[in-house]
Amino acid sequence: MLDSVFTGWGAFWAVIVMFAPFALMGIYIVRRKSVVDTGPTSLQPSEFAPIEGVWLTIAFIFFVIVNLAGLKFIPWAAAAPSSGVGPVQEIDFTAKSWAYDLSSRQIETGKPVRFSGRSSDTQHGFAVYHPDGRMLFTMLMMPNTTKPTSVVYTFKEPGTYKVRCLEYCGIAHHAMQDELTVVKSN
Amino acid sequence: MSFATSVVNNTPIFGKMIAVDKSTGLEDINAWPALMIMSSFIWLVVAGVLGLVLPATQIFQAGEDHYYTAMTLHAAALVFPFSVQLMMGVGLHRSGGCVGKAITGWLPAMTWLTMNLGSAILTVAVLMGLKVSLMVMFPLPLVGAQMGVWSMSSVIVGFTGIYLVLASMILFYPMLIIKMMFFGRKRAELVLSERSLNDPGMLGMILSAMVLLLTGLPLVVVGTTLLLALYHILPMSMAAWAADPVVFQYSFFFFAHNLMEAMAIMVASAIYATLPLYLADGSRKLFSDKMANLALWILLVTSITSGLHHFITFYPNQPAALSYWGSIMSWGTGIGAALSIFTVFATIWQHGLKPEVGLIAVLIGWGLYIFDGASAMVTSNIAWAYQLHGTMWQSGHTMTVVLSMAMMWMGILYHHYPVITGRKLDPALGRLYVRLVTVGSIGVASVMLMAGADGMPRRIADWHQEGWMLWGNLFMVFGLILGAAFLVYLYSLMKASEMSATMGRQLARA
Ligand SMILES: [Cu+2]
Repeated sequence: MLDSVFTGWGAFWAVIVMFAPFALMGIYIVRRKSVVDTGPTSLQPSEFAPIEGVWLTIAFIFFVIVNLAGLKFIPWAAAAPSSGVGPVQEIDFTAKSWAYDLSSRQIETGKPVRFSGRSSDTQHGFAVYHPDGRMLFTMLMMPNTTKPTSVVYTFKEPGTYKVRCLEYCGIAHHAMQDELTVVKSN
Repeated sequence: MSFATSVVNNTPIFGKMIAVDKSTGLEDINAWPALMIMSSFIWLVVAGVLGLVLPATQIFQAGEDHYYTAMTLHAAALVFPFSVQLMMGVGLHRSGGCVGKAITGWLPAMTWLTMNLGSAILTVAVLMGLKVSLMVMFPLPLVGAQMGVWSMSSVIVGFTGIYLVLASMILFYPMLIIKMMFFGRKRAELVLSERSLNDPGMLGMILSAMVLLLTGLPLVVVGTTLLLALYHILPMSMAAWAADPVVFQYSFFFFAHNLMEAMAIMVASAIYATLPLYLADGSRKLFSDKMANLALWILLVTSITSGLHHFITFYPNQPAALSYWGSIMSWGTGIGAALSIFTVFATIWQHGLKPEVGLIAVLIGWGLYIFDGASAMVTSNIAWAYQLHGTMWQSGHTMTVVLSMAMMWMGILYHHYPVITGRKLDPALGRLYVRLVTVGSIGVASVMLMAGADGMPRRIADWHQEGWMLWGNLFMVFGLILGAAFLVYLYSLMKASEMSATMGRQLARA
């Protein structure tokens, strides 16, 4: 269930969950106090304080829960020594306008892969897309860094995964693409 | 008659929209703001047309060259000479009337000149071939020149333009605000609605001027070094530190992020100042000034370092600790927003509301701003950032934050318009604008977020993959509605009806 929350569309619904109560309350309050009953309220200023406390507490608790739930889905958390992740396949790559030089394009399901990337000219991205069109993760590379940018990811389903550059890198940026082949492990 | 007044009053079409009324005796707080507001509307038309050109290049398959040119110019025009300049213009007039100090002399002149000249020079550079997007994507300008994609002279022209725009925002404008707030002679005849610096409506002005000045300084140093090297005044070896992509990007985003936050603080304080003027019981008081100020301080403190969220996917080059920090601070701004929301709602609930069209326009812009805030927090969560960074979600967020703030200033302008021009805006046209802008802005903001959720990359000149053209067509539909809204707004400025100057003055002091 949480798997589908921390996806692109999950993010969109999270925005709706945060915005809808605000919007409904706003429309209700503005309409009520400008059309239906414009007179001052009978609520005393002191009676607002507990409402404000409850409102801020709900917001705070919601923020904390969302961010705690998301920790598990951070790519580097999955690669932490304590996560029990087994042997890792290493794929190194260099991004250069407008192509990738990858050490391997073959991956097996269920085995964690560490992608380590560098750029040799300007900023580039490395976003991996599921065969169904979902984006799984993206990476940002800048030239001249001492370390490569890296992500560990475990593919679950076999198929052809598209790679796209998501950092604008000039007039052929949209054509900067590659492919990874994921096969079932035996 | 001041220079600014004569430029506005002699400009065809756009000058008519905000021609300065010289009989009010308020030219000293009206002239430069009117010129900035007028100039911002010219850039709005440029940005709006280019915004529609973006989906059009995809629908008509016009090629990547046109797409990347339009993309760079659209965003640059929308953010700097339109949105920032509109904020400067309306905000300056408002603070002039609050503290009774003239907006005259070389500071407003330089603020206006560097903003518009710089934007024009940047436009020339882009037309010369420099297609680097709003974010510059350093070292892309230099790499593109080395690869022969564009000329080195276009890079030099472009950096000159950007530098002037930065000087306007980081140096001249904050200096002008600080000078007005703390120095200079107060003139009783210029005071329209007196406010002290403890007033939430004024505190935001000071905080945001300070934020622009301080967070912009690293970028000014880096930019000056690079520009001197480009002009061969400094040897490249001495500018190498500034040309390091990580140094440039971090100073760039430290400012760019805080520019948005400073504008947000400023517009929040403008709402705190405007809302009480439209309360049904005439009490003219916010629910709580203390809570309002607290929200501004929370926004300020959390926002300064929340910009680290731009580099979450750069791990481990940006250490995890800094990404967690940026993420937590970003969600912390949400606490400031929650407090603000309560203050606004409680104020309306307590005192009732006079739903005049200008105020409704402000509230719609504010609602959109909250919507955008939610999208910004979500994408600052590290797990979500990995799924959304570099997609249309980010373009949607950037556009929405800029658009929502511009919409709030356009609403606030309803309040100040009569005292600047001696004319009154037609409420029927105003209501039409509000309807159109509500549908257009919420529509385009939502579909851009949806496109990002769907994995559609930002800044790519090929939308004909994975069914993304669905989103492209929707951008066009809602973009056209938004364009119609702005045309109605500008038309209502042109068609504003004359009223007596004394009435205008009374309105402003009301
Ligand atoms: Cu690239």
